[in-house]
Amino acid sequence: MGVDWLNGRGFFAMAVVIYGISTVYSVFLWRKGFRRDDWVIYALLAAAFAFHTTAMIKRGMSLNHCPVSNLYEATAFITWTIVGFYSIAGLVPKLRFLGAFASPVLFAIGIFALMPRLDIPHELSPAPPGTLTSIHAAMISLAYGAFGLSCVAGIMYLTQERNLKFHKLKAIFSLLPPIQRLELVVVRLLIAGLILLTAGLAIGAYDLSLLNNPQRFRGDPKVVWSALVWVMYAGLLIGRWKFAQSGRRFAIGTVGTFAFVLLTFWGTNLLSSLHNPTP
Amino acid sequence: MPIVALGLSHHSCPVTVREQFAFSEASIPEVLAKMREKGLVDEGVILSTCNRVEVYASTSLDTRACFEGLHQFLVDHHAYEGPLNEELYKLGEPMSVHHLFKVACGLDSMVLGETEILGQLKKAYDLALQHGHTGSRLNKAFQRAFNVAKHIRTETNIQRGSVSVGSVAVELAEKIFNHLKEREVLVIGAGDTSEKTARALLSRGAKGIVVTNRSLEKAQALAADLGGRAVGFDAWASEFGRIDIVISSTSAPNYVLDRAKLEPLMKLRRQKPLLLIDIAVPRDIEPEVNFMDDVYLYNIDDLQAIAADYLKQRQEEIARCEAIIQEKAQIILSQPAPRPSPPGTEPAFGHD
Repeated sequence: MGVDWLNGRGFFAMAVVIYGISTVYSVFLWRKGFRRDDWVIYALLAAAFAFHTTAMIKRGMSLNHCPVSNLYEATAFITWTIVGFYSIAGLVPKLRFLGAFASPVLFAIGIFALMPRLDIPHELSPAPPGTLTSIHAAMISLAYGAFGLSCVAGIMYLTQERNLKFHKLKAIFSLLPPIQRLELVVVRLLIAGLILLTAGLAIGAYDLSLLNNPQRFRGDPKVVWSALVWVMYAGLLIGRWKFAQSGRRFAIGTVGTFAFVLLTFWGTNLLSSLHNPTP
Repeated sequence: MPIVALGLSHHSCPVTVREQFAFSEASIPEVLAKMREKGLVDEGVILSTCNRVEVYASTSLDTRACFEGLHQFLVDHHAYEGPLNEELYKLGEPMSVHHLFKVACGLDSMVLGETEILGQLKKAYDLALQHGHTGSRLNKAFQRAFNVAKHIRTETNIQRGSVSVGSVAVELAEKIFNHLKEREVLVIGAGDTSEKTARALLSRGAKGIVVTNRSLEKAQALAADLGGRAVGFDAWASEFGRIDIVISSTSAPNYVLDRAKLEPLMKLRRQKPLLLIDIAVPRDIEPEVNFMDDVYLYNIDDLQAIAADYLKQRQEEIARCEAIIQEKAQIILSQPAPRPSPPGTEPAFGHD
């Protein structure tokens, strides 16, 4: 796995190293029971975000377009949006511990992204993506970033909810936010993600319509999968509003849906002739 | 000019003695002026609360003479006729400064780590300062005491957590609900602890209180006291759509609320979280309800276990706090060299 500093891969690798350090520190915070407001986790993720942003800019400048044109770039972009959303949420003191729950997720996705076979050299791609395609990919990645952070908030909710349910003392001693606020954070992130996903899919659909014979992509695995993901997230929100499926069930649904996304994103991408055209 | 401290507290004597030495806030400036006119002290602050009456002073007198003078002054001022020996503690440097810092940090309080005393100490100091009864020695000592209290609050767990059942219930509510100000509380039955818990919730911003009791008159009396409203004992279930926190403390021999009764009521609430605090013995609420989604049930043992654990945490912090106090006190004490304490100066109760 060569670390190519020239187009930013090295900076991304540095970011992933810091996500790893942050993960180790998160374990320490977990064992301490989140008892003290801690800027260290925020500082670590802010530093990682700086490296990560540099990686994205360098890659983008070398390609002359938004860097979302292969799996490595898409994965790096999603991870970047998760940290980006956290960097805003983490300014609120009680939400700072989101970083402790996000770090292992970021580290795991980052390690995966660094696998060499994901970063297909652009000389081998049929054609660079157009503007609409770049916007589509960027908005979808932003959406998954929001969903990713909602998953993290959902895990926090379930952790704290379990502690309260089983009368664990750490439920009281920790500085984790109240579970109702965590649920609110999850809802807002899901709404943001769904809006971005809807916009991204709409732009993608329009972009597709400009191709010759776009109907041949109707059954494309990635297209079907994206529609399914949209239905799942919309269903979560409708279930909460209309059928009072809130609280623990809602959090489990949020975590489970993003786990599904994580586990199937790359596979469906590889199967998709639209997103992974054979040269 | 050494700093001295002299006083009575809940450690050294009962309230029947302390109350005879209490000062009203209005009288304190005049008392300090008299102490200074008599030459007993050059600077002075009087702290008078329900648990202590203390004089902190800087004096150019010999420390022993100052203590004898202040002792007699207090006895004469309050026309006290009983014996006053071990009840009145007299502290010269460095113990006077250590004691001041300990009081500011809540380490000498009846409830270890309580924070109210700091506000009371600040008020006492401000009163003396406004009337010109403090100078450089006491100003530095008190400012340092306030800084030490803040430092200890942020660096240790001595003030963290709640050590009463009522305040533990509030903390639980704050771990569940986004804001207490939108929450309504239902009190089932009446009792001292449930009333205190309800008050604690109200003081933290709970929106309203509904009280129910087998005796409607008792419910109405408690509701009036708490600024809420009363409902009949047969009608409280209809309030459930609005209620977020239930405090139950009846003397019923059977469960007042069980799973079968609660399930349809939760539908009224559209699965919003519900906190149930069961203070009754025997218990009012079936333990099984804790397994329902969005329901959190805590009984009296759970609350007391949390309060006891907080107290234990605070006690574990004492040694660390004392080390910080020793270190910070040294800064004040190293400024003019203190005179050695004369023999016969008794340490206060609880001090080494």
